[in-house]
Amino acid sequence: MTHLTRRSFVGTAALLAAPALIRPAFAADTVKLGCLFSSSGTMANIEGRLNHVVRMAADEINGRGGVNGRQIEVLTSDPASDWPLYAQVGRQMLQQEKVAALFGCWTSVSRKSVLPVVEQNDGLLFYPLHFEGDENSKNVVYVNSPPASSVLPAVDYLMGQDGVGAKRFFMIGSDYVWPRTINKQLKGYWKSKGVPESAWREEYVPFGFSNFQTLVNQVRSFASQPGGQPIVVLTVVGSSIPDFLREFANQGISATDVPILGLDMVEADLEGLDTGKLVGHLNCWAYLQAAKGERNKTFLGDWASYVKAKNVPFSADTVIDPMVSAYDSVHLWALAAAKAGSFAVPEVREAFAGLSFDDPSGYTLTMTGENNYVSRGVFIGSVNEKRGFDVLVQSADAPKPVPFSPYG
Amino acid sequence: MVDPIRRALLALWYLALLAIPASAAPLDRTMFAGSLCKDGAAQVGAAEGLVRAGGDLPADDLAFAGGLLGALAERRLTCPPDGALLLESPNAAGGQDAVTGAPRPSAEARAPVLGLRQRAAVETARGVVALLTEETPAARSAGLAVLERRIATVPAAVLDRARNAETDAALKGTIAGLAQGAALSSPDPTRRRAAIAAVAASPSGAAAARLAALKGDPAYGSDPAFRAALDAGLAKVGRAVTIGDGLAILYNGLSFASILFMAAAGLAIIFGLMGVINLAQGEFIMLGAYATYGVQEVLRRFAPALLDFYLVAAIPVAFLAVALVGIVVEALILRHLYRRPLMSLLATWAVSLFLVNLVRVTVGTQNLQFAMPAYVSGGVPLYADFVVTWNRLFAIGFAAATLVLTLLILRRTPLGLDIRAVTQNRDMAACLGLPTRRVDRLAFGLGSGLAGLAGVALCPIYSVNPGMGSGFIVDSFMVVVLGGVGSLAGTLVAALGVGGANVLIEPISGAVAAKVIVLIGIILFLQRRPEGLFAVRRRR
Repeated sequence: MTHLTRRSFVGTAALLAAPALIRPAFAADTVKLGCLFSSSGTMANIEGRLNHVVRMAADEINGRGGVNGRQIEVLTSDPASDWPLYAQVGRQMLQQEKVAALFGCWTSVSRKSVLPVVEQNDGLLFYPLHFEGDENSKNVVYVNSPPASSVLPAVDYLMGQDGVGAKRFFMIGSDYVWPRTINKQLKGYWKSKGVPESAWREEYVPFGFSNFQTLVNQVRSFASQPGGQPIVVLTVVGSSIPDFLREFANQGISATDVPILGLDMVEADLEGLDTGKLVGHLNCWAYLQAAKGERNKTFLGDWASYVKAKNVPFSADTVIDPMVSAYDSVHLWALAAAKAGSFAVPEVREAFAGLSFDDPSGYTLTMTGENNYVSRGVFIGSVNEKRGFDVLVQSADAPKPVPFSPYG
Repeated sequence: MVDPIRRALLALWYLALLAIPASAAPLDRTMFAGSLCKDGAAQVGAAEGLVRAGGDLPADDLAFAGGLLGALAERRLTCPPDGALLLESPNAAGGQDAVTGAPRPSAEARAPVLGLRQRAAVETARGVVALLTEETPAARSAGLAVLERRIATVPAAVLDRARNAETDAALKGTIAGLAQGAALSSPDPTRRRAAIAAVAASPSGAAAARLAALKGDPAYGSDPAFRAALDAGLAKVGRAVTIGDGLAILYNGLSFASILFMAAAGLAIIFGLMGVINLAQGEFIMLGAYATYGVQEVLRRFAPALLDFYLVAAIPVAFLAVALVGIVVEALILRHLYRRPLMSLLATWAVSLFLVNLVRVTVGTQNLQFAMPAYVSGGVPLYADFVVTWNRLFAIGFAAATLVLTLLILRRTPLGLDIRAVTQNRDMAACLGLPTRRVDRLAFGLGSGLAGLAGVALCPIYSVNPGMGSGFIVDSFMVVVLGGVGSLAGTLVAALGVGGANVLIEPISGAVAAKVIVLIGIILFLQRRPEGLFAVRRRR
């Protein structure tokens, strides 16, 4: 008789509990796609939407007859903003549900935890967030931009004459891999531009932190020191973003005094805020809701009617970059699978070379055979009174992504 | 030698300037409107030109320019090929020609988005216009506040003109002070010293930086009077900034402590009385916030005039609604689990998950949109760099009121007497005929209701969404355990201690380390004194 250790008990319990984590839709002759987006915990408000967008894209493709003659079935899950749980659910989806591809993760820490799982099982993870780069796995498709084609153009803009000629930088981030890596690269970048080390400060807060009084006080005293125009580079995530913005505005700092470059700030973070006092703060993404063009209008309309038809518990008139990127991901996968004539990961991966897709942002997404990065356009947005972003600057075309940063 | 004719012309020119200064150089309206429709550099040029000329321009030109700049900032200015167009609202069907005012239909055209540099220039220009043309002193002083942020770019002529025209004595004094302070680099040593004194009179970090920059001035080495004035000014500003920073730390600590106290007060009663570890307490706070939202929406629908007072109106509603939820939870679930603390812990956790998902399904996961009346938005600079933010002050006042009321209930009402009796010795209280089960239920209701009140106080500070409660549960248990189970005074002291410690440590070692250090401190303290700060004597 086997002895019941605590470890084996926990293992069995997890195994028994695990199937409840995944909610399958229907079973027929279908191809399965898996989603790894939390609908609870600190990321719920923003990640939760992406499940529905993946469904919407799948419905769109199914409406046109599916892929390779098969209908797409989307499995969703709730990893509860608990990073190791992303890996567990991901493994289960790959091994038990045999999904053809995973779509998921918002924070880099969740991607890093899923990474070994997709590599061991030779799965495919489509990652829809712009991120810190410095990673190039053949099992992850980096649908959004690395810093060279998102953060650096925005910082360049702020440092230039069109921006504010920023000379000093206050970095505030959540304490995990993405903010730390981004800030490390930024410091390397500033060093290469001859900015002295005394010109920046770096502060980190725990996940879900909300009491920003002291930090905003520090920003104010940093701003009053001599040495040139200061800016805040904000890499906090989740519910910390609106809480920081509210405190910032309440202490009377406007964008023309100290602009914030919110690297993870999206339209959804402004819900519930009075943005009258926040007008002018910046973000940078590969898509903004205010993007011009028919394709964007169609997408916004589709989302609004999808929300209404499926009774989705999210705002019908807020669309954020990761939603569009998740939508692009499904289409890119479908294009590659159709081109390969197969759902097997190695063949789909082969088919990525030369793929192109016209997405709602107005740019044409392209992939080369060199890596799994996708070329995206660059938008710099400026907060307006209506809890949205106006397009301030937009790149002429989609620059070729540079996975590894030369700046540290 | 200067040509006499040219000299005569120059003299005439100066005479003309002296005679009719106000109409010296009227604004080229067409060009101004045109520049606003060009690129960023042209917009900045136009706005800065207006600021430079602001001292001389006629009032109607200023008002015209102000209208255009306002429209530009609000994206009501579009730029069709036939000249700039002013719209009533963004995306309106028709508008007025920016120069002539003639009505014109709105064509598909670019509405310029202001970059940060342009926005700063436009803000300053609008400040000049407001200061010089607005009717009410309040509006003029709002314009002045904008100029104060970038006082170095405002020409003396603008301030002089504003001061001469000003009718409001207090505002006139402020303008004069600013004008005096603007002369920091004046060639006249007397004016310069006066400027130093004027800058030092309204101390702030920025003032310190402005004065410190003068230390590199040659006069600092050569002119002893200047040197003395500057050193005195710097010392004064430095002292004031230190005091202001101290006040800010005090205020931050107090405000964080008030939030902790609000979150923990209900738990202190529930945990103290029944020993129930209520993991749904955070969700009760969330329900209180949602009740507040409900009150706001009802007022918006039925009594829009009273909308500003929704936070006050929500106090009884949130309290009663959440107290009712608490009583229902107690009656349905916890009542059966009193002798099994682990089970009640799991059951309340289940309740918390249920509530989160119930709200998520029925209301949605997005952050709720609250109207922010003036008494909870913005802040006022009180002394040096110390800003009192209204939403935090509201929470502090709210927590104080809650504390007083709860103490009154516990100490002065029959219910309070019952609660205290049951807390101290349940069996004896039962022997003496107290219906302990009913007392439990009411106490649970009271504790839940207090969580509901915390929800009201937090609405203006934190984002309200279904997941907001989970952030409070750990902190509130920390406070309750540290304070001593069942003691409201202990909860208060513990909240002040934890809040203050966090705020003190944060600037030194960062927010992450502050949390860790505070936790370690609490663990060490509880090792020494497991019953917490204030132990309620009880018999077992």
